[in-house]
Amino acid sequence: MLGKRNILITGATSGIGKSLASFLVRDTNICVYGIGRSEEKIQDLLGFENFKFLKFDLFDVGDIENLFKSALDTVKFDGFVHCAGLEETLPISLYTYDRILQIFTLNVFSAIEILRNLSKKKYSVDGASFVLLSSVMGELGQPGKVGYCASKSALLGLTRSLALELTKRKIRVNSISPGIVNTPLTRKLFEQIEEDNRKRIVEMHPAGIGESEDVVYLIDYLLSDHSKWVTGQNIKIDGGYSIQ
Amino acid sequence: MNTEKFLELLKEELELESDLKVSTNLKELDEWDSMVAMLLIGLVSNEFDVNLTGDDLNSITTVQSLIEKIGPDRFE
Repeated sequence: MLGKRNILITGATSGIGKSLASFLVRDTNICVYGIGRSEEKIQDLLGFENFKFLKFDLFDVGDIENLFKSALDTVKFDGFVHCAGLEETLPISLYTYDRILQIFTLNVFSAIEILRNLSKKKYSVDGASFVLLSSVMGELGQPGKVGYCASKSALLGLTRSLALELTKRKIRVNSISPGIVNTPLTRKLFEQIEEDNRKRIVEMHPAGIGESEDVVYLIDYLLSDHSKWVTGQNIKIDGGYSIQ
Repeated sequence: MNTEKFLELLKEELELESDLKVSTNLKELDEWDSMVAMLLIGLVSNEFDVNLTGDDLNSITTVQSLIEKIGPDRFE
């Protein structure tokens, strides 16, 4: 790849997003724009000249357009990765409208609004690559995961349609579906369940649970020109979890 | 929260047949299963902003023990 690439990452302050940002900044030909609510957890990243922190709460979907107009006015992106998301366990009887709106706002609506802006020629180059983090739970079901599964599944539908809309500009849109990865989101999930259950979940991953780096290498491939013929896809990366 | 109200809330939200007392062992109810446990975790989180863990659920038996886990100071 020639020239500098600008990559926008949501959820840059934790888990996979943070690992991805940390990986990409090592390439001085990449300028990483990381969106997060607090710079507290990424002090090490702030020292990089090619890392720009955008302090922003993605729940404020209505302000995303202003974020582009104010902080990103002269930036044309080569890549976007939506790592921000929340996970929760709630039976259907407790999924009030407010509750479901919350998980959809962060997991889906913020991504759509970013993509609405990013898809303009002003903010993206031809040949750009957009990656959305879904989950194996986007295609599998589980009790207590109506919100999470529905929101992760929504990203898959979005991927397919948007991929077709943007092929004229050679922009690729893909999803990846990780299994259980060792991140703060997973650690929080594990705290909620009993030890036997935790062990069972780990054992259900034939190749063990994943590390952020495992997922980062796949995202790196999708962001690069090496994957220029890959679009509208959902790639599962789960240690064999979903094939059983 | 008033303890009586809490017992009524549990009965209604968990859709239990019989009335509850603080001495009722939740795990011995006919309706008790993993979905009810999940519902209970969600309820307690909504009402008290307390997040019960799987290990907490393991050690809970009676409604009283649940009240202890939530914090007796939250009840009157």
